[in-house]
Amino acid sequence: MAYSDKVVDHFNNPRNMGSFKKDEEGVGTGMVGAPECGDVMKLQIKVQNDMIVDAKFKTFGCGSAIASSSLATEWLKGKTIEEAQKIKNTDIVQELNLPPVKIHCSVLAEDAIKAALADYQKKADGALVDAK
Amino acid sequence: MDHQHNHSTGSPRELPMARSMCWHCQSEVSGEYFCERCVKVQPVSKELDYFTCMGFPRRLTIDPRQLETKFYELSRAFHPDFFQNKSAEEQSISLGNSAMLNTAYRTLRDPIQRAEYLLDLEAGAVKNIRTSPPADLFEEILELQDTLDEYRAADRASDASATLCSKLQTERTMLERRQQDMETALQQLFAQWDALQDRGEATDQARAERDRILKHMRDILSNRTYVKNIVNDLVATIS
Repeated sequence: MAYSDKVVDHFNNPRNMGSFKKDEEGVGTGMVGAPECGDVMKLQIKVQNDMIVDAKFKTFGCGSAIASSSLATEWLKGKTIEEAQKIKNTDIVQELNLPPVKIHCSVLAEDAIKAALADYQKKADGALVDAK
Repeated sequence: MDHQHNHSTGSPRELPMARSMCWHCQSEVSGEYFCERCVKVQPVSKELDYFTCMGFPRRLTIDPRQLETKFYELSRAFHPDFFQNKSAEEQSISLGNSAMLNTAYRTLRDPIQRAEYLLDLEAGAVKNIRTSPPADLFEEILELQDTLDEYRAADRASDASATLCSKLQTERTMLERRQQDMETALQQLFAQWDALQDRGEATDQARAERDRILKHMRDILSNRTYVKNIVNDLVATIS
């Protein structure tokens, strides 16, 4: 089974690889793993005024998992929190042409997005309580 | 391993059957792989779990010799070679049964696969218990991954490379020890599961205990996969 050109491209030239400091203001961190294959994914967003201004990822896993998270960070940049919530794993499958056996990689990326958004929300709510 | 509890059923022909009626002579087949009346082989149901198929209770401690003996017994009973002169139906049943038997044996032979399989079977009740991702472990793995990348990029003859290598060696030793600890913890959980099965209680307390064991087992098995992956990567890179 061959990887699609898009997967190979993201794998060879991953976009937005790296990380932010977890406790930095406006940063949300999502850390997820797939126990079946042992892949680990960290996805972070930086939010200003409800807008995702930057995103980074680090993934330890197969080519499809790396490509899925790389693509996810590309898509996240410039989106509002609400828009980001709507990213579905099926969008990633379609864009990267993932075969059925690699669909779980896209699910992992969606989970990572959700986890990062939830973490950001939690921190933002916490900051609000602190301010009061 | 399993001397106290001899759960093996005596003969391979006393196993629960898929069908209650013989596909050939329509007489009732009770708990046998072969019809008593017309002696035709009967298909193993796809619904049958591997434990039942091999005649073992759903326990996590299985004597490998007992399992092997059972496997050989059933292999002989189902082997396609013995059905070459039989009808097409019987040949196809023998083939199907043999395939199922091989998968069952492969799955149950390995303690980890056996536990994973049991979790799948029992998942119904524990499905809503989501395992919490071990954030610390993930962070550690990703950091280690960075160090590995650094090492891969470093000039092999340099001091930096040597420092990185010894650091990775230390990590490897620690992770391998952790893997062993996890396996010990799993063994303990297996024993707890078996004890619970043997007691066969249906109280709330027993159910809670059951869920606790399954969830804990799920967590350790997952973490073990993560650790195993990074250890494999370490070994492949530094040796």
